[in-house]
Amino acid sequence: MRPRTVVRTLSELCVTTGTLLVLFVVYVLYWTGVRADSAMDEELGRLQERWSSGSVGAAAAPGEPEPAPEQQPGQQPEDAPPDPGAPPGRPGAPSAPAQPGAPTRTQPRAGTPGQAPPAGTDLRAGRAFAVMYVPRFGAGWAKPVLEGTGTELLKRGLGHYERTARPGAPGNFAVAGHRRTYGDPFKDLDELRAGDAVVINDGTTWFTYRVDGRPYRTRPDDTGVIDPVPAASGYRTPGRYLTLTTCEPEWGHSHRLIVWAHLDAASPVAQGRPGALSA
Amino acid sequence: MYGWIWRHLPGNAWVRALTSLVLVLAVVYVLFQYVFPWAEPLLPFNDVTVDNGMAVNQ
Repeated sequence: MRPRTVVRTLSELCVTTGTLLVLFVVYVLYWTGVRADSAMDEELGRLQERWSSGSVGAAAAPGEPEPAPEQQPGQQPEDAPPDPGAPPGRPGAPSAPAQPGAPTRTQPRAGTPGQAPPAGTDLRAGRAFAVMYVPRFGAGWAKPVLEGTGTELLKRGLGHYERTARPGAPGNFAVAGHRRTYGDPFKDLDELRAGDAVVINDGTTWFTYRVDGRPYRTRPDDTGVIDPVPAASGYRTPGRYLTLTTCEPEWGHSHRLIVWAHLDAASPVAQGRPGALSA
Repeated sequence: MYGWIWRHLPGNAWVRALTSLVLVLAVVYVLFQYVFPWAEPLLPFNDVTVDNGMAVNQ
């Protein structure tokens, strides 16, 4: 009788532990994504509401994949010959980290429209202020960018490193996001290649950044990658750059994966979605 | 353990089964709402920034 009770209790404990673990895996892999997706949709909705009601005249709705109006072919010179680096999507493309000539060349043109961030784009900690689009991640991929990189905040969207530049501004606009869990926003970050577009809408302006080189793997404490001119990026002159960071490997935290891009074009939201999103 | 709970539930078998189901759902709810959110940050998936010092000030 006694050993029987012990064995039964032990097996019940084992079954309970197993069930707990399975439930936890379901929570991490599935439920965090469900929660994050709805939180991000909420942020997008709130942002759009603020843009449409506030001083920021944003006609373009975040998230909806409407066909882009083709009204300004002359405005989008990046459609013609992309940077000599590599056409998007070629896996074996030479991995020259960046063409030092390219960013400098584009600066004067890119700088003019979205120079100083208008009052509408005030960055309050924890609040969404922009929407990021990455065509490589899928046509419907649109995520809110929030101010700050706290753990709680990154469950509701991408996080902007507080001490880095604003979108489109001189310096380095650095953004962090989850590789896995919480909606997997940067799951495919390692698939970005030179020439891929990363588009930011801050309510007043569409900023089109172009990726340079291949994703760069570094140590978790390598804060130099979000410097105004990141040493490892291949950029040599001050410019308007973008840095994306996430964890590497996909399910680990031993390293970080970094992607750099330079500002290629900027156009007011009134002119509709940029060419990079309609392609 | 489960046998003990079953024996201490009131009512006939159907009522007991229903009560057990409610109990299981309640446990799952507590786990998803409170226990797992607490345990999840102990896993490495949250480390996506290059300056963990700053990530604290949320």
